[in-house]
Amino acid sequence: MTDTNLLTEEQAIELFTFLVAAARTQLDDPCSYASMRLLTAAEKLRDFITAGVSPEAQLLLDSTVEKTEYAQIIMNDTESYTAALDELCEMVARYLVARSDLAGGPSP
Amino acid sequence: MSQHTLDVIKSRRVIRTMTDQPVAREQLEQILEAARWAPTGGNQRIHRFVAVQSPTLLRLLRMVSPGMFQQPQAVILICIDWKKVAANQFPATDRGPYVDLGAAMQTMMLAAHSLGLGSGPVTSFSKAAVRVILNLPERLSPELMVCLGYPAAPGKQLPMRSKKKVTWQSLTDWDRYEE
Repeated sequence: MTDTNLLTEEQAIELFTFLVAAARTQLDDPCSYASMRLLTAAEKLRDFITAGVSPEAQLLLDSTVEKTEYAQIIMNDTESYTAALDELCEMVARYLVARSDLAGGPSP
Repeated sequence: MSQHTLDVIKSRRVIRTMTDQPVAREQLEQILEAARWAPTGGNQRIHRFVAVQSPTLLRLLRMVSPGMFQQPQAVILICIDWKKVAANQFPATDRGPYVDLGAAMQTMMLAAHSLGLGSGPVTSFSKAAVRVILNLPERLSPELMVCLGYPAAPGKQLPMRSKKKVTWQSLTDWDRYEE
């Protein structure tokens, strides 16, 4: 894990602004857009921080690019969209487990 | 309608990936000139267009527009002038201004396509924030942005979201509606 600031002030403000604006526009947009906006925010965050994270985290973030792009495309197909998001969550969870004490296997 | 006009209509696509090649002011003026000829209810002009080319303003608009996937080189914001709407005695509930808005948008997008530019409409933006960024008076409500720029190569475009095949027949009933 790196201890440096992963976001510049400009990037942080951009992400903050996007989230606040999305909170407002979501009141007018279809409910299904809410998930897409959160995914877009996640993509923005990933794009901002990828260069500054550890090689392991970079590997994780890079491996999600294709998945998030695919999810955005198929969001009208609820079943496939749900499955794609589940896969993304699993990828992140596997990463979290691998970098925690749990990675050593079940306790005796 | 000429074959050329039909070809322009049928080949236009919403462009969500644009290059950083600048859009010339003359091109924007041609698009605005085309929009001036769009049909409007009662031949009243209740819209106001705001053309934006400043890189700083474009960046700020994008930040408050969750629906803007493009990085446009120009934006034309279509506003409704509610003072004109009231002066023309349209009832507040009249949908005419929004119908006119769609006509202006489509005219701009077709004009842009004719000029070799890509375009994409965006309505998911914070109106309050856009009002501040562009210093809009109270009577103007920002309703829709037409993003403009040169389309990225076809392979770099975001694919269309999956959907059922649409034909004019699937959208049309002839004479009387039938289930």
